[in-house]
Amino acid sequence: MIHLQSVSMIYPDGTEALRDVDLLIERGQFAFITGHSGSGKSTLLGLIYRDMVPTAGSVIVDGQDVAKLPPRRVPFLRRKVGVVFQDFGLLPQKTVWENVGFALDVVGASRREKHRKVPIGLELVGLADKGDAFPHQLSAGECQRVSIARALVNGPSILLADEPTGNLDPDTSWEIIQLLLNICQQDTTVVMATHDREIVDRTNCRLVQLAQGRIVRDAKEGGKYDAP
Amino acid sequence: MRLNTIEFLLHEGWDAAVRNGLVTLAAISNVAVALLILGGLVLFGMNVEHMASLQAEAAVIVVELAEGADAAAVEEALWNERVKNIEPINAEENLQRTIEGMGLGLMESSEASAELMIELLGANPCPASLQIKPMDPQDIPELARQAEGVEGVAMVRYARQVTDKLLTMARGIRISGVVVGIVMAVATLLVISTTIRLTIHARRDEIRIMQLVGATNWFIRVPFVIEGVLDGLAGGAIAAAIVLPIYSYIEQYVGQNLQFIDLIYSAQALVLFAVALVLCGVVFGAAGSLMGLHRYLRQV
Ligand SMILES: Nc1ncnc2c1ncn2[C@@H]1O[C@H](COP(=O)(O)OP(=O)(O)OP(=O)(O)O)[C@@H](O)[C@H]1O
Ligand SMILES: [Mg+2]
Repeated sequence: MIHLQSVSMIYPDGTEALRDVDLLIERGQFAFITGHSGSGKSTLLGLIYRDMVPTAGSVIVDGQDVAKLPPRRVPFLRRKVGVVFQDFGLLPQKTVWENVGFALDVVGASRREKHRKVPIGLELVGLADKGDAFPHQLSAGECQRVSIARALVNGPSILLADEPTGNLDPDTSWEIIQLLLNICQQDTTVVMATHDREIVDRTNCRLVQLAQGRIVRDAKEGGKYDAP
Repeated sequence: MRLNTIEFLLHEGWDAAVRNGLVTLAAISNVAVALLILGGLVLFGMNVEHMASLQAEAAVIVVELAEGADAAAVEEALWNERVKNIEPINAEENLQRTIEGMGLGLMESSEASAELMIELLGANPCPASLQIKPMDPQDIPELARQAEGVEGVAMVRYARQVTDKLLTMARGIRISGVVVGIVMAVATLLVISTTIRLTIHARRDEIRIMQLVGATNWFIRVPFVIEGVLDGLAGGAIAAAIVLPIYSYIEQYVGQNLQFIDLIYSAQALVLFAVALVLCGVVFGAAGSLMGLHRYLRQV
């Protein structure tokens, strides 16, 4: 599903963010990416949704080398790869319903499709009754749910989450993780970058640890945040 | 394209124009000023050319005959394929026309004035002449030179300065019009592309989200192009709404007070002109926003 082969990423300013990374994430798997700040977690995710192109190596997503994708094909990759960030990225002047619908508008969906899919998305994240609210009327956890609904509404096969609980308290974080695990159960591959020791230790999922741009540990299942 | 998509794009474009109220206002007024100058220049140039061509059309070569020359023979000798027609004017007629032309009407009719003049001078000062009308006013100097060599011709005259000056002036105005026009067009494009860049900056979060959820570049562009077109449309309409009444007023004033100047005036031409101004605004609006977007969308 996601296969990084000998991937290196050097930014134009010379920073080496990833060095010779090999990583295979199977379809339907849930994987944490951990590591200190600056270890290359966001860069790794960015390569998968083609926010950037690797300096060397190939990034296979869904059987396709994303590194070689011509720019005009990138939007179609993004429809298969949902992304969620720490800062939610909601449009403040649009309601919850409109924020989720926005992802459908933008890919040229019909009105009927929108009216069918938005409620399903809101239902999935448990916000069916908040459609008319504006982002500033929601809690942080609810905002992150809206952003997850937006990432999922186009039916991607992969969901990338870059520190989605970074702004949330532990209880709310745990609720969001439950939601992401649920989504994974429904055959969506989930890759999540996190610093959250407690979450990692409570979930027993695959854990990939980065340090200075290299994979230093890859615990297939039940990985603990700190190496034993 | 789906109805929902069209609605979405129009709404986003309109929204952007409205939300950036002040910037939009600045863009519209800049476009209006640029098109106003451009439009005024075009009208001025068109009129000068119009007058020059009227003058040129009226331009003739006057061939004065020597005393006792055979008018028919000289006429025969002057004919060639570049001559449109030759009008013989006898001495009395010539005198009458001269009097009219110089505004020397001493009596109530020019015939009476001519008789008085002959009486006063004891003879008719004007010789019989031939008026050559050329096919093309540009041939006048050449035809005049040829006429000078014809037997029985005393003198050849034509309004060298007036015709030449008007033709030169028309050319000069056309050239400077094109230059100023290009400058104004570039300025307008820059204004609109800057406006769009400001809008892009104001909406960069939205654009980022659009890109992340898989919007194609053209889809991201359309609302901005709509915004630019709206700015251009409004600017063009304002320019037309200012230029047309002023021009009508000038035309009316000139028509009443300076009757020797004949300005172009037809409702049809002016409507066409207004439409052209608005279309210019629309084209500049679209082109300017594409310029503004070009750099940005390549970066991300
Ligand atoms: N656009 C960029 N240009 C230059 N260097 C960059 C850029 N983005 C990231 N880097 C550098 O690349 C390295 C990896 O950054 P990255 O953002 O992937 O780390 P991270 O693991 O996500 O860190 P954090 O936990 O703080 O989010 C860092 O040294 C960072 O300074
Ligand atoms: Mg990061």
